[in-house]
Amino acid sequence: MIKFTRNKLASVYRKDDDVLSVHGVLEDDIYGMEVDLDLGLPGLEILAISGRWNRMENAECFRAIPFLQEAVGLRIDQDFTQKLQKGVGRKACRHFADLILECCEAARDAARLIPKKDQEAKKPDVEIDDYFGKAGEPEKPGIPAPASLQKREMETVQDASRPMVIDLHVHSAPASPCSSVPVEQLIEEALSIGLDGICLTDHNHRWEPSEVEALRQKHGLLILRGNEITTDQGDILVLGLEEDIKGVIKLEELREKVLKAQGFMIAAHPFRGFLTFGIGYLGLTPQKAGKRPVFQRVDAVEVRNSRVSEKENRFAAQVAKILGLPVIGGSDAHKPGEVGRYATRFADPIRNEHDLIAALKKGRFSPIVFRGP
Amino acid sequence: MADIACFTRNRCTTVEIVDEQTTRSTCRVQDTAMEAWVEILVKSPNLDIVEATGEIRRSSEGNRLDISGDLRKVIGARVGPGIKKIIRGLIGERPFVEMMAILLDECCNGVIMSFTRDVLLAAPKDTAGEKVFFSNMVRANPRLYNSCAALSEGSPLMETLELDKIDGRR
Repeated sequence: MIKFTRNKLASVYRKDDDVLSVHGVLEDDIYGMEVDLDLGLPGLEILAISGRWNRMENAECFRAIPFLQEAVGLRIDQDFTQKLQKGVGRKACRHFADLILECCEAARDAARLIPKKDQEAKKPDVEIDDYFGKAGEPEKPGIPAPASLQKREMETVQDASRPMVIDLHVHSAPASPCSSVPVEQLIEEALSIGLDGICLTDHNHRWEPSEVEALRQKHGLLILRGNEITTDQGDILVLGLEEDIKGVIKLEELREKVLKAQGFMIAAHPFRGFLTFGIGYLGLTPQKAGKRPVFQRVDAVEVRNSRVSEKENRFAAQVAKILGLPVIGGSDAHKPGEVGRYATRFADPIRNEHDLIAALKKGRFSPIVFRGP
Repeated sequence: MADIACFTRNRCTTVEIVDEQTTRSTCRVQDTAMEAWVEILVKSPNLDIVEATGEIRRSSEGNRLDISGDLRKVIGARVGPGIKKIIRGLIGERPFVEMMAILLDECCNGVIMSFTRDVLLAAPKDTAGEKVFFSNMVRANPRLYNSCAALSEGSPLMETLELDKIDGRR
């Protein structure tokens, strides 16, 4: 039996030599919506947009319509999807963003065909396959320069002999494109709420030791380097790995690298659920969940994360308990005011990354509510 | 002058319940330049992708291209948050891979939407009931707050949450 259907239609026509017009329709079991866009040629910049609902999820969805204008001025380039999701997806509606993306991709493909079509009009004997050229080839993003693999211990200004509280999971802008907090602001907030340190775990981004050292000296806060790496089995917080890993890596491959580097791996928010239904809905039990491959290849589990629900945190804690895995806490801060919501208390003083990994391996730590959600 | 379309695209995603534990999600796309389909089988409760197949039926690269080898790379991944990034990371950057990734995304999104639909079937039609339903939904899933215009500060659906915040400050 069919349980859900979504149909999307995008039609593109050439309004004039400089403008493509696109009409898009999305119809599924939950939503019905339409958009009309004008895109400038050759830059494919959104010049105008209008949209309307035909069916909505709730009575307040109409509020999305004015925010569709956030798309005006965006250009279909490398960061287009991200900008659209941030502007229209979050402020208006992610399903409208999805439809606009569909329309823009259709416009991009149409624009690739236009020169060929013009050529066709001039040379009617040209074979149809000649028109496509490289239409199917995706645009390759620029390859960022690899970060330095330089190894260096970072002594800290703190010489604590008392337990220390460190937020082990924070994201800074622009290193993590999803974060809106510059690193200086994160540090200032961490100091103002009394954290002893933070660990920068930007997505697939390596901080240079010299950058972090400069920040530490400037602010007098313990700043540690980590990384949140996307694997085929979900996100993993990695400590002690100097390699700059880009893209998605197989969990097994990451495990081998981290073991070789004598680092430490933590399953980040392992049960971050879907937006409107949770774990219970799927009939997932802690026993069943504990059999996921990820738990065989990590050293600890994040059981306090401020961006998941309490239920999801509790579930992660239950699984970790069944498996006997150590547990940590981190805010997963992406916005101002989030740093330190959860953190990890260490029994031993931590002065540098070496101390952190040693303490994690000793297991003398526990997750805590610091600032609170 | 007639406004003749220079390009059209249809994309259709269907989600089918195969048995109590298995869901099949299929996405088909037909446009001026190409035609393709991708199908995944997903097992509950972990929503693991256990099978992925597909074909490019028509394209500038040729007809009836078997892309199953590329698609199989996503077997073992779980449908859920972050799957888009995982899909792109796993299937690489060969020509047409971006198009396959979009089809896979649509299949995964369809699975999630099919569960979302079940939840929304329980939403009351009356204004007061709707407010309670959606504010409770956001309380249970705080990430939903400010995730769209209807669930943002200032929306009547979020009134009770705003009051919670004020009470919390007192």
